[in-house]
Amino acid sequence: MAHDSNGLSDRVSRRKFIATTGATGIAAIAGCSEGGSSGGSDGESGDGSSGDGGSTDGGSTEEESTETATEQSLSGEINITGSSTVFPLATAVAEEFQKMHSGVDISVQSTGSGGGFENFFCPGESDINNASRPIKDSETQNCNSNNVNPHEIKVATDALTVIINNENDWATEMTVDELAQIWGPEAGSGQTWADINSDWPDEEIERFGAAETSGTFDYFTEVINGEEGAHTQDYEPTEQDRTIVQGVTGSQYAIGYLGFAYYSQNPDQVTAVAVDNGNGPVKPTLETAKSGEYAPLSRPLFTYPAMSALSEQHIAEFCRYFVEQSANTELVANQVGYVPNSQEEMQTELDELNSAIEEANS
Amino acid sequence: MATPTSSETTFESVSRTKGAVFEYLTLGASLFGLVALGVLLLYVFWDAFGLATAEIAWYGALVICVVAPTLGFVAYARRNTVAGEVALELVSTAMGGLLAGFGVIAVIEVIAGPAVWFAYFLTVVAPLVGLFLYNRARPEVTWVGLAMLGVLIAGPIIGTLTLDTLTQIESLIGGPFVYLLSLVLPAAVIARYVIDDYLELGNGNFAAGLVVAVAFFAVPLIDTLPLVSRSVWLIFLSTLVTPLGIVAWKNLAAPENRVGFAGPGIFIGGVGLLLIVTDALGLSGPTPWFDWQYLTSNPSRFADQAGLYSAIIGSVFIIVLVALITLALGVGAAIFLEEYAPDSGPGAAIARLIRINISNLAGVPSVVYGILGLAVFANLVGLGFGTVITAALTLSLLILPIVIISAREAIRAVPDSIRNASYGMGATKWQTTRNIVLPRAIPGILTGTILALGRAIGETAPLIMIGVATTKFSPPSGLFSKTTAMPMQIFAWSSYPSAEFQHGVVAAGVVTLLVVLLTMNSIAILLRNKFETEEL
Repeated sequence: MAHDSNGLSDRVSRRKFIATTGATGIAAIAGCSEGGSSGGSDGESGDGSSGDGGSTDGGSTEEESTETATEQSLSGEINITGSSTVFPLATAVAEEFQKMHSGVDISVQSTGSGGGFENFFCPGESDINNASRPIKDSETQNCNSNNVNPHEIKVATDALTVIINNENDWATEMTVDELAQIWGPEAGSGQTWADINSDWPDEEIERFGAAETSGTFDYFTEVINGEEGAHTQDYEPTEQDRTIVQGVTGSQYAIGYLGFAYYSQNPDQVTAVAVDNGNGPVKPTLETAKSGEYAPLSRPLFTYPAMSALSEQHIAEFCRYFVEQSANTELVANQVGYVPNSQEEMQTELDELNSAIEEANS
Repeated sequence: MATPTSSETTFESVSRTKGAVFEYLTLGASLFGLVALGVLLLYVFWDAFGLATAEIAWYGALVICVVAPTLGFVAYARRNTVAGEVALELVSTAMGGLLAGFGVIAVIEVIAGPAVWFAYFLTVVAPLVGLFLYNRARPEVTWVGLAMLGVLIAGPIIGTLTLDTLTQIESLIGGPFVYLLSLVLPAAVIARYVIDDYLELGNGNFAAGLVVAVAFFAVPLIDTLPLVSRSVWLIFLSTLVTPLGIVAWKNLAAPENRVGFAGPGIFIGGVGLLLIVTDALGLSGPTPWFDWQYLTSNPSRFADQAGLYSAIIGSVFIIVLVALITLALGVGAAIFLEEYAPDSGPGAAIARLIRINISNLAGVPSVVYGILGLAVFANLVGLGFGTVITAALTLSLLILPIVIISAREAIRAVPDSIRNASYGMGATKWQTTRNIVLPRAIPGILTGTILALGRAIGETAPLIMIGVATTKFSPPSGLFSKTTAMPMQIFAWSSYPSAEFQHGVVAAGVVTLLVVLLTMNSIAILLRNKFETEEL
């Protein structure tokens, strides 16, 4: 059994190698035409995947026949729930996976990280839950008590972006402390920009943020206010990034925070705040998030398959594919707008996943 | 007009001002909703059909080739009403046939599959229709009603038990043959009946033979078209070509009706001319998001590849089930409450309590029904989260009170004098209900039900509660398969960041939903008109 699943992973990663090199090749060309800085990293990832492919090199005709056999044999349902931040990435991967395996029936539901764990994943109603923060201990316990054991996979990195109105010319750079004053639990109605910094206008702050079921909410409160859930009550909570952007676009004195993907596709609608964590203000970009310069708001994104689900071949295959695609620059960065995993990270995650699948099957 | 006396004039002028103000206020109130909806529709259609990209010259060509000639015909039809009626009949038959064809394809070909349809056609549909026809031929036979009830109960069970055997038979004879047997032959029989007996145009056997002959002889031609399979051809032959042929034959037979063909002819010719002209002059037309590709593709992260296929099929699947459930339960409950519920004693109090509760349930927010569905159908009964059956049952509960109320109104509108006359003739309660009350109440019942179904198909909140998927890449395969629905997918797309999604794909989704809704509503209106004009 174990041997069989390994063989499968080799075949699939070989196929993925072709896809990834193709995709990274395109990305590399795009990177070269844009400028040198991103081109270098693309080249690296291209090297990495070709190394991966080389180790499983085999006769191409044999490859073809086994591939069709795999495609035919994979069938079943996969239910994915969880974070609205990971939703675009998960649907993109699911779309590609479904194209190759028409027998597999994937449904993706955007429920928020916490909502997904609480209502669907831990009760055993979904196979995979996405989260824009690590799973909490209480959630692990809740899941374990239902015999659901989550396996953690990091699939990308997001730069949580604080946005202000384009007319706002005073707060384009903010320190973590200033953000904490605006979003902290004591911040309440009537607080003005001048209360934070006396150079700023004496106008009331309008806040648009993530709803409490959102992993974005949990992560933001933890790194900015030092305690998970410590958040002002005087704000407009929503799961919809679009609502936040519209709210901030509508008022000069508004502020909000959201995942990087939405901002990166609409950079002209709002202004991103450069966050100063003691080392000078840093603008959120894919590069600064990848290098870790954009701190403390760059955050990992996760997906959590249940161990019991991993014993099903089609779900195990999908998770492998998800991990392999997490290093695909074209898909993760250019099409969805997150920072892809490095080739080494991807390999580590893949090894851990493979041992988890072996464990699930034994 | 009597001339007013001078003493009344001053009094009248005061009351007229107030009256005029009131009149225009009510006019404003009635226009407010219409104008708001009209603006919204314009906005959505503008986006969905990509009208912004069309050149001014293209619009000019459109007006000259299509709009002006069609309007000319409409103006002519106002004077020659026969031409207008014939044109309307042709157009509505074509549109209805087209939509019915797509509906049949969605329900039978995609959702059920020809094998399953074949099994239940043999065990349920065919016996029912057979019994119905037998009853029409010999109205004096009394056991037919009970036999139909028996078929309705036993048929599905037998069909399910023999599903494997019948599926094997289907795989031997093939999908197209199933449609020939179950759709084309009945269509031929109906054509024979309509031509021969109803319209009295003469040779009905010839018409029936023609339908079957066309079914066979068009196959070589159909095989050359890549888009149309043999099954699709046979389905459209029964829903579109045959009815259109009958209507055309009927109107061609009457020489004064022939002018009506000019209307559709002018329109089709105009569209053809427009295509030729724009092609020759190189005018760029609109680039619609709402197109064939959109209706037949699954969701995608790329706006130009995104489609609503899985969501459309999911919604159709759900709504067909909801229609079956609510018609059975809603009409049943309404008949009991209006005809059988006791008028006095403790029973009357209970019946009144039920009536009041049903009226109140109609106003309960849909989210509450979602929670009910989650707790009862998904968790307690274990029908699964976000499955077709859970969604259908939840939405049925949601609209059941509306269906019951409208059905009760329709039943109550049947005059008591007719009922009493029926009793006076010695008819039983059941005979009176079946032969006197229900036929007169059907238009009202159908209208209420279809309007309620329109509400159900656009409902999102309960679907979110019961865990219906936001995005799915294949249509549901069975009752217990996870599904998505049009409003869920549209809502998911509305949060996609790119402008192409927000202004193109979402708008096209809204148009799809609107087309389905308006189609259902027009069917409701057509049914009502048809039954109301029929002699009762």
